[in-house]
Amino acid sequence: MFIFKLLATLVKLNVQQELAYRVDAVINILVNLMWLGWELLSLSIIFSNTATLGGWGPGEMIALLGVFRLVNMLMAALIWPNTERFNTGVRDGSLDYVFLQPVNSLFMISFSRIIFWRVWDLVLATVLLVVGVNMSGVGASPYNVFSFLLLVTSGAAILYSLWIVLIAFTFWFTKFDNNVTILQALLDTGRYPAQVYPLWLRLIVTFVVPIAVATTVPLQALRGDLSGWQVLMFLGVSVVSVLVALRVWKAGVQRYSGASS
Amino acid sequence: MLRIYQRLWQVNWAEQWQYRANLLMYLLYWLVSPIVYLAVWTTVAKSQSSVNGLTANDFVTYYLTLLVVDTLTTDITIHVLAYKIQDGTLSAELLKPIHPILTSTLINNLAFKMLMLMVMIPVWLGLALLFQPDFGAVTPLSLLLAIPAVVLGMGISFLLGATMTCVAFWTTRVYAINEFYWAIIVLFAGKFVPLSLMPPVVQQLARFLPFQFFDYLPIQIILGRLPPDEILRSFGMGVVWFGLALALFLAVWRSGLKRFSAVGA
Repeated sequence: MFIFKLLATLVKLNVQQELAYRVDAVINILVNLMWLGWELLSLSIIFSNTATLGGWGPGEMIALLGVFRLVNMLMAALIWPNTERFNTGVRDGSLDYVFLQPVNSLFMISFSRIIFWRVWDLVLATVLLVVGVNMSGVGASPYNVFSFLLLVTSGAAILYSLWIVLIAFTFWFTKFDNNVTILQALLDTGRYPAQVYPLWLRLIVTFVVPIAVATTVPLQALRGDLSGWQVLMFLGVSVVSVLVALRVWKAGVQRYSGASS
Repeated sequence: MLRIYQRLWQVNWAEQWQYRANLLMYLLYWLVSPIVYLAVWTTVAKSQSSVNGLTANDFVTYYLTLLVVDTLTTDITIHVLAYKIQDGTLSAELLKPIHPILTSTLINNLAFKMLMLMVMIPVWLGLALLFQPDFGAVTPLSLLLAIPAVVLGMGISFLLGATMTCVAFWTTRVYAINEFYWAIIVLFAGKFVPLSLMPPVVQQLARFLPFQFFDYLPIQIILGRLPPDEILRSFGMGVVWFGLALALFLAVWRSGLKRFSAVGA
């Protein structure tokens, strides 16, 4: 339970840091709400011109926006800030201190920096999801809700393992500080169902940078579009990708020589 | 004066040429949302043969043209100037006997755009192969007419962007404020969808705002969708907006400088 105590301490540190800039947090939330307004407006523009988008109705699109915001929150609260810290660490050698600590290095690299006000997005995402599902009239059964939750988790795990691999590449190519750009750039594709995209882009967001696996796929499960086998397959893929990522990370750490020494 | 600009161009070009690989990464950001919108609207258009008179090909040509126009008109001043105001390094530039924004920042912007355009050409050709657009409506005359529109768009975008950056003289929250400005651009420039599909209120407002020069107007002119009297009217309005933007920038810059205390000096 040491790891939970450590996590609690990290959260506490980050909240304290943020409390020093309370007004900024409020402004950030306002900006965030403004973008929500824009997202809803763009959906209303789309649906004033059509009844369905690639087979998805307005309610389903709002629910998808909820799932997208959930994934986006994980990225903005944890992944991006920690990437920045990691890249600085590689460049100036301060990463050495992470490896010197008697804690799992990957844990420290993933959770040292937490942008706490982003948790606000969790509330918004839940509201959007509930409202969207109600609007769409999909009577989601408990089984569907359960597989939805499973697939959101496994989708997040797949994206997380991709992130580990990307930043681990920095151990081989030191100048690779654009390591997460491709992930950041393609993240926005998660706002719309993958079925909308032309085949080549659909292949990219499903297999290369699997944003769709964390956004479109869980919602398909909620709608009851996926068979039990497909759900199991996605779970299997997430387990395998985490295992592969851990191997890559380990190999990378062994190559690390430290910029300070 | 011309010599100064020439020199600044050489310096900025050489400086940014080193980062051409990074540019390819920036380009990715630039590309994704227009392509997403392209996919969304062609899907809609294909499911019902046309949206408000726009066919799937109309959307493909719109967004492919947008990629080029947007690269030319988007302004990056906040990223190259705001931190200089915040950490005080602006003072070094203030010592030079030339206006720091209307010379070096402007040239920096232009060099960035030229490089982006160069990097974009192969990517754009690839996309054209993938989407098979029919650019039959584009004529040499429409391209020629689009040049003043793009230049006006570049100018207004640069001046307004620089004005928004000058907010850094008063507050450290310049980036948050800039996001509101960015949202207004997204709404009124036609980045998300051709303005003719926007709600009527937005369309009416957009007609009189300068933001349509950033994307919508040049694109419509290039694709030959604007009647000559409309083009003339919009040029007139563009010139007026350019003058207003210049006056606004100069006023904000002057009063901002008075507040500037050069941290670290």
